[in-house]
Amino acid sequence: MKNIKILMFILFLLALTSSFSLAATRLEISSPGEQTIPLAMPRLLPMAAVQAGVAEEFNEVLSSDLELSGLFDQVDPASFLSDATRLGLKRTDIDFYQWRVLGTEALIKGGYSYSGGKLTIEMRLFDVVSQRLLTGRRYIGKLTDVRKIAHTFADQVLLSLTGEKGPFSTKIAYISNRTGRKELYLMDVDGHKPLRMTNHKAIVLNPDFSPTRKEVIFTSYAKGNPDLYRKEIYTGRESRVSLKKGLNISGRYSPDGREIALTLSKDKNSELYLIGTDGTIHRRLTNHYGIDVDPSWSPKGDQIAFVSDRRGNPNIFIVNIHTLEVSRLTFEGKYNATPAWNPKDDRIVFSRLDKGVFNIFTIRTDGSDERQLTFGEGNKEHPRWSPDGRFLIYSHDLHGEKSIWLMRDDGTGAKRISAPGGDDLHPAWSDRW
Amino acid sequence: MESSRKQRWKQLQSVFEPGFKQMILVSVLLHILVPALYYAPFFPKREIKKPPVYRVNLVNKIVKNPQAGRPEAVVSKKPKAKPKPKPKPKAKPIPVKPKPVAVKPKPKPKPVPVKPKPTPKPAIKKPVKPKPVVTPKTEPKPGVTKSQKSALQKRLEQLRVAQDKKAQAAARKKRIEELKAAAAAEVANTPAIKSPIDAAPVGMVGAKGDEAGVSAVAHVQEFIRQQWAFSKYMAVGTPEAEVLLSYNAEGTLIHYKFLRKSGNEAFDESLRRAITKARQLTQSLPEAMQFEIVFNLKDMLDR
Repeated sequence: MKNIKILMFILFLLALTSSFSLAATRLEISSPGEQTIPLAMPRLLPMAAVQAGVAEEFNEVLSSDLELSGLFDQVDPASFLSDATRLGLKRTDIDFYQWRVLGTEALIKGGYSYSGGKLTIEMRLFDVVSQRLLTGRRYIGKLTDVRKIAHTFADQVLLSLTGEKGPFSTKIAYISNRTGRKELYLMDVDGHKPLRMTNHKAIVLNPDFSPTRKEVIFTSYAKGNPDLYRKEIYTGRESRVSLKKGLNISGRYSPDGREIALTLSKDKNSELYLIGTDGTIHRRLTNHYGIDVDPSWSPKGDQIAFVSDRRGNPNIFIVNIHTLEVSRLTFEGKYNATPAWNPKDDRIVFSRLDKGVFNIFTIRTDGSDERQLTFGEGNKEHPRWSPDGRFLIYSHDLHGEKSIWLMRDDGTGAKRISAPGGDDLHPAWSDRW
Repeated sequence: MESSRKQRWKQLQSVFEPGFKQMILVSVLLHILVPALYYAPFFPKREIKKPPVYRVNLVNKIVKNPQAGRPEAVVSKKPKAKPKPKPKPKAKPIPVKPKPVAVKPKPKPKPVPVKPKPTPKPAIKKPVKPKPVVTPKTEPKPGVTKSQKSALQKRLEQLRVAQDKKAQAAARKKRIEELKAAAAAEVANTPAIKSPIDAAPVGMVGAKGDEAGVSAVAHVQEFIRQQWAFSKYMAVGTPEAEVLLSYNAEGTLIHYKFLRKSGNEAFDESLRRAITKARQLTQSLPEAMQFEIVFNLKDMLDR
């Protein structure tokens, strides 16, 4: 009897495990069915009294930022159901079924209140499929901070979905001749709030942001010679960093912010040097009769890409700052200029003169996989990366007017960000602001 | 003759046991009573549930070993029906319909002559009144016109509304006919699907099985792919993950687990979302099945 019981138990176990012992079929899925995330973003709703303009401005900025990211396919608000009109910021308050019906995977909901000059905006990002809260933030500020809050939350959305913060709450420095002279300006990533930073009444060129402090360096002819200046953005304090005889141009901060690579022509020939933030020369990087300009640091801070005509035409070269070994990066094209090293350390962007027009190209740091990102009429020059390496800004000379444009790193989604009314060029993207 | 019948009857009666008649009677009564009780409203009755109707898609039926052929083979019969819309050139009905629209304005004049009729009635009264004074002639006029005018206007408005409705309905019909004609023309112009194999049966291209239908594996692969949303701008490097999915024969996901994660949280999270969306297949499977699926972005990143 006991043996029968044991036998029965073994048979039961076998029957139980048989369902799990199926031979698995091996498959490969090598691309997603949808290459964007369906996102719904109903209008910001008032949590107390309605304040005119807040919801419209906030939604416009947030929508524009997320559109630019290329990650999302925004669901048409005309198809929204009743849940879009309900201020439900808790997971349990949301009718996720309504959003599933619309094919949405991500949902952004928010509310605002304004009282006593204080604006409070509460934002939530939900995963519609798993009905989870992905991120939530409460922002407190003034009425004038609506755009800033929207940019900040856009960065937060990207952080939550990709693991990397977006670049929308950063700043762009550029040179503009709106006053009749080339001066340094600062603006938001979407081109709003342009602010003139200098009043040198002379030519100002090549700005670059400090990675550690809220300051920029640039070259100015204010004293007659092209000297390198440093300017603190909030205090407005300004000083000359390098005032060697001849060129003191195209200064670029090292990733740790302790040194500056620049071109000096104090010895009659343009060479690359490393100087300290106090202006003292640390090291000469190049020593060749050719012209060496436009340095750009690798994110690790051990190499610098630059332009040199040492082989005849201007091409991109890379110098190791420890060994001073120089290697050539580009071999195609007759004029390659203004390189910028990707923060992700995989590609270098530059502009190339091809058939009489400058266009933007990228190339791997080993010289392989060269890609042209821009096409069409008008010179596209001075490309620079966003701090996350997802976007590029550049100056575009179209119909006789130079303006600042922004695009994704694959060349898609290009759009003008600087306002009309002057020539804008030499953009530089700040780090996290 | 009669005596013989009686004799037989007596013989039969002798065969029956005593009380046989009562027994038959009771039996009949019981047979009547039972259905009477059943249909009487005293007892609640259970509704007999009709068995569900299953619709089997023979064109894209999921099978384990599909035969050689092509999935849309049966669909090729439809093009035969397509020629029908061709002769439809519904352009013909379109010119016909505008005519009724043009006819409709006619009703407008009709009501107008009808309403003047009430006015002549007071006109008959007028000749009687002229005797006293000339002034009374004016009195009947306003009395009649006020009520009649308002009635007339109301009627006119009603007619106008009715006419507008008719015109709108006609315009709508015309538009529908136009769209139908355009759709038919589009269908007629679309080239029919041609198979490389003449008279190909329902199956899969290059399959070697013996069942009419499409491969369960291919169906699951495509279904899960469709549920997966991931942007190339989220990709860092070349992520790859491996997931084990167990489906029962009804096509319901019983269990899944990551055999190997990509290390990219956004990528893995997108797979979790896709699997959640694919927890119920659109069709049942031939049997409970397990799939080891390797997810990567080879095709997306190879630009």
